[in-house]
Parts: sequence; structure tokens; C-alpha cells
Amino acid sequence: MSSSFCSKSLVALSRPLYSLTLTVPKSFPSPALSFSVNRPGGVIPIFSAAPTRRLLCNRGFICGGGSVWKSVISGYATAAGVNSGDDADGSQSDVDYLRMPEEKLMSQCEIDTFKSSGPGGQHRNKRETAVRIRHLPTGIVAQAAEDRSQHMNRESAIARLRTLLALKVRKRVDLESYSPPQELLQILPAKSTIRGADCGPQIGPKNPKFALGMQALLDLMYAVDGSVSEAAKYLGLSTGAVSRLILSDDSLRAAVNQIRSSKGIKPLK
Amino acid sequence: MAAAAAALRRLSASCCSALTPPPLFLRPPTYPSTVSHIRKWKQWAKTLTPSVGSSFAALDNGPDATLLCRELNWLLDDVVVHQQDDTSLLPILDHPRQDDSQPVYLRASLDDLCLMWNQRIHQRRPFQYIVGCQHWRDLVLCVQEGVLIPRPETELIVDLVSDVIREHSDLKDGVWADLGTGSGALAIGIGRILANGGKVVATDLSPAAAAVASYNVQRYNLQDKIEIRQGSWFEPLKDCQQKLAGLVSNPPYIPSHHIAGLQAEVGMHEPRLALDGGSEGMDYLLHLCNEAASMLKPGGFFAFETNGKEHCQLLADYLSNGLKGSFSEIKIVSDFADIPRFVTGFRSVPK
Repeated sequence: MSSSFCSKSLVALSRPLYSLTLTVPKSFPSPALSFSVNRPGGVIPIFSAAPTRRLLCNRGFICGGGSVWKSVISGYATAAGVNSGDDADGSQSDVDYLRMPEEKLMSQCEIDTFKSSGPGGQHRNKRETAVRIRHLPTGIVAQAAEDRSQHMNRESAIARLRTLLALKVRKRVDLESYSPPQELLQILPAKSTIRGADCGPQIGPKNPKFALGMQALLDLMYAVDGSVSEAAKYLGLSTGAVSRLILSDDSLRAAVNQIRSSKGIKPLK
Repeated sequence: MAAAAAALRRLSASCCSALTPPPLFLRPPTYPSTVSHIRKWKQWAKTLTPSVGSSFAALDNGPDATLLCRELNWLLDDVVVHQQDDTSLLPILDHPRQDDSQPVYLRASLDDLCLMWNQRIHQRRPFQYIVGCQHWRDLVLCVQEGVLIPRPETELIVDLVSDVIREHSDLKDGVWADLGTGSGALAIGIGRILANGGKVVATDLSPAAAAVASYNVQRYNLQDKIEIRQGSWFEPLKDCQQKLAGLVSNPPYIPSHHIAGLQAEVGMHEPRLALDGGSEGMDYLLHLCNEAASMLKPGGFFAFETNGKEHCQLLADYLSNGLKGSFSEIKIVSDFADIPRFVTGFRSVPK
């Protein structure tokens, strides 16, 4: 399995993982699984679970069954650049979390909700509907508390997770043969010379599809070492137009500035 | 059947014209006000919450000041008519701007809002009864006194049913029953995921609940798919024996001696009929289990909400041993807080 993507994405996560050990007993999926990370300086256990522990999928609880464990394992293994021994899904070296169907993405996540201090259910009238999602392969956490139903908080948290994945997980871009993907073209202003008429109106930050375009733009910015003028050449836009696009969304600006500061370039304002 | 249908029509006709008073978010925006007036009102409302602090929480596990402030925002969300571009006014309320004098329309007068917030703080009236609705899954269900406010835990039953009908697609077209439907939450949640041929029959003993459930069914335009029948548990379902593809219920399950110690919002305001499950809290759960075998068709699915771990274990044991052979694949499923909450299973298929 190629690890080029993996090393990049993990550097961006500021949590360098070098290799992963999965301790899977012969009687899998019981009695217990443990996961640990081997890195210079020692072995760190990161996950250990008995099969009775429940993993929560977006559709509800799933008891520790084969498919969930498999995707957790392959998710971890992918992130760490090792082969999970489960090639049923084919190569995931260029795993694209944003394009994953919700169910698949959520099978890599653990969901926490409120910890009730009492018996819950009919005993209680308290809108403790906050939801926290932890994406196991990347360690990214998204949460939502402001909605009035748990279901809607879950939807918000998933949308937020996708945005965070777009912001934090970088894919390698080959500049030699680079042409911007459709989702990036869709967030560009109409005056871009490479944007065809078939792209439709420009997609703004409030549209859920913006995350995909933002991810592709950040991949490009990462490849050109944070240089706006360099990126502008690939996008058929003036440097000013690319700056304005980046500044149109606070999280996008922050992510670009993080790339720039890591390259010693002053931030965009 | 014809008589039942006629009764249903009468029920629908009597209740669906309106709830009195109507839920806040459905009232007409006839009260002119301004951003600065609403901001002042919100400041006043907030001054009532610090006195609460964590005292309700300490007393009976009630809401603390943080939760009350969140409810305050939700109250304004329901009462303030949003601007044309559909952006919420709420952020403006917290950040003073130049356009404070711009006209805003409210669905209740500021005096009424004062009354409502005083009821919330001083009488512990549930927030959902004040605004007349509860957000549950992706639904907004109208509720009022006399009807149990649907709980977030119960949302999970719809997911359980959704998983089951994905694997057993024949159940998608069958008749499902929701017993003790209250606001109609489970009936509507399930009605929306069944196939075109599927139907839900929901019962409730309380006329108030049956009326509110019918109202909610109409609001989601599901009256052709969901039938509300007033009556006790299986009594109105005589025509469905051995026919049900599925059976769900969130029956009263709180042991009688716990009722007095409940959080004030629940114990003082919600209907005891929907909470009190008898001395051990198991009276209605056992009744449901006893009748389920004669109501479900072979292969039919059931899911019941319970008081917690002890109930789940007792019921699972009763279903597998006490009613030996009637049911298969009996499972205990936990809720979001990891408390064993539901018992599910299937009616056995004769060999």
C-alpha cells in the first residue's frame, strides 16, 4: 500500500503516527481487540475494546460485529499506511473521506452523546442533545449542541466533520499534470478563464458542496507551498481574485494561512 | 371497520381545525416590535436565570442556567419572524448594530413572553408546553398539556425500525402499530419510512393525546398512511390480529413510587397516565409482551422502550422463557447514554 498520501495527511494532523499494530486474537471478534501505535519513543496504545463495547453508527447502535470492526481496522490501517489485511475494498491509499457515503464515513467514527446522570427516558425533560463525533482514522472531532433535536445535532456534527476533514486532510497533487477538479471549478468566480459554462453559478461557503471545492483548493495551495500567485495560474484567475476567494470563508482563510505560516510566508488578511 | 373510520373522521374533524392555543411557531406574526425592544426583553429574561444557577439541578436534576439560556434562544427563534433572507435575528440580538430600530414582527406580545418565561422559571412549566412543540428527529411535533413530550431516547426506535425494514423488505408494506402514541412521534417517524403500501395504526387511551397525534399526522400530510384510534392498547386493534408487520411502543414505565421524586417539569406537568407504569413500572410492558404474539404476524418485529437495564433483562427473560417459542432474536439495545433501553425481537416463524 502506498504511503505517500498517508504521511502527508498525518503530518497535517500534527500527530505523527508511524506504524500501527493491531492485536486481533484468533477468536476475532472476541474476546478483545487492541490497537497501538509504534513510533520513535515507544508504543502508544490508542484503542482497545472488548466486543461488547458498542460502536454507534449514524443509523443507531451496532453491536461489535465484523463489518464495523473491519472498517475501524481498515480506517486505522489506512491512516497509518499499513495494510489491514482486508483488501475487500481495494486499495485505499488515496482515501477520500469527503466522498465517502455517510454510512461508510460514520462506520469509522465513534459518537458520544450526553452522559446522563440519571435514569433518562421518561424520567427526564432536559434537552441534552449535544453530539460529538470522533473520526477514528484522523482523530478529528466535530460536535454540535445548538440544535433542538439530537437527530439534527448529529446531522450538523457530520456536516462539520466533513468540513474539518476538508480543512485538515491533504491529498497529494501532481502539478505537472494538474487540472482543477469539477468541485473546485464550481467554487471559482465566473471570470475564471478555465471555468466552463457547464459549471453553473458559483457555489458559495453556505452551500454544503463548498467543502469539496475547499478541499481541492487547499490541496492545490499545499502543493504550491501556499503561494497565491502560483495557485492563481492553475485556476485561470488573478492573484487578487484567488485572495478574495480564500478570504470569503473564515475557516478556509485560517487553513491557507496555516499552510503559509508553515512555509514562512506572511498570512493573508 | 366502517364505524372505526367514521369515528376517526369525527376525531380528525374535531381536532385538526386547531390546537388551543396554537403552538407559538404557527401563530400569525401580528405583534410589531423592534430589535432593541427584543434585546431588552432578552436581557430581562436572562436576569431570571442566574438566580436558578444549578439549584434546580441540585433539587431534582432539573435544568441549569446554561440550558435555560439555550431555551431562551429557542423561544425567540419560534417567536421572532425571520427576515426575508431567512437569516436568524438571534445573532443580531447579541451584537448591537446600527439598525436596532428596524421593525420586527412577533408571534406573541412581549407581555405574553414575560408571562411565558415566568412560568418557565417559577412554575417549572416545560419549555415544550410553553412553545407548544418539540423538535424530535427531523420533525417538529406539536405538544400541549395532557400529552407526553417525546424524549430524545425514543428517536432511536425509528432507526431500529429503519434497519429492520432494510433487511426485511416485506415488512415495509405491512401494517405497523404504535401503542400509546402520545404526540404521534413514533407513528409519524415510522410512517415516513414505510413503503407506499405500508400503514401505521396508532392508539392512545387519552383523548387529548389522540387529538394532538391526529393534528401532527395532518401537519405532515400522512393522514392516508397513519390512522389514530382512541382506546386502550390493543383494544382498538381487533381487526389487526395476527396481521401486524411491526409493533412499537413507549409505554408508561416509571415505577409508581418514583413519580413523587421526578424532576418538576415532568412530575408536576406531564400526564401521569403516560408515565406511571405500576408498582414495578412493568404493568404495561408485560401486557404488551403478552399480547404481542397474538397480534404480530410470523416474522413481525417489535421494539419496546423500557425504564433501563433491569426492565430490559426482565423482559428479555420473560419473552424467551415465559413465552417460550413465541419470539426469536430477542435483543436488548442501549440508548445514546449507553443505558440498556429497548427490547426488540421478532415473532417466531412456525417450522
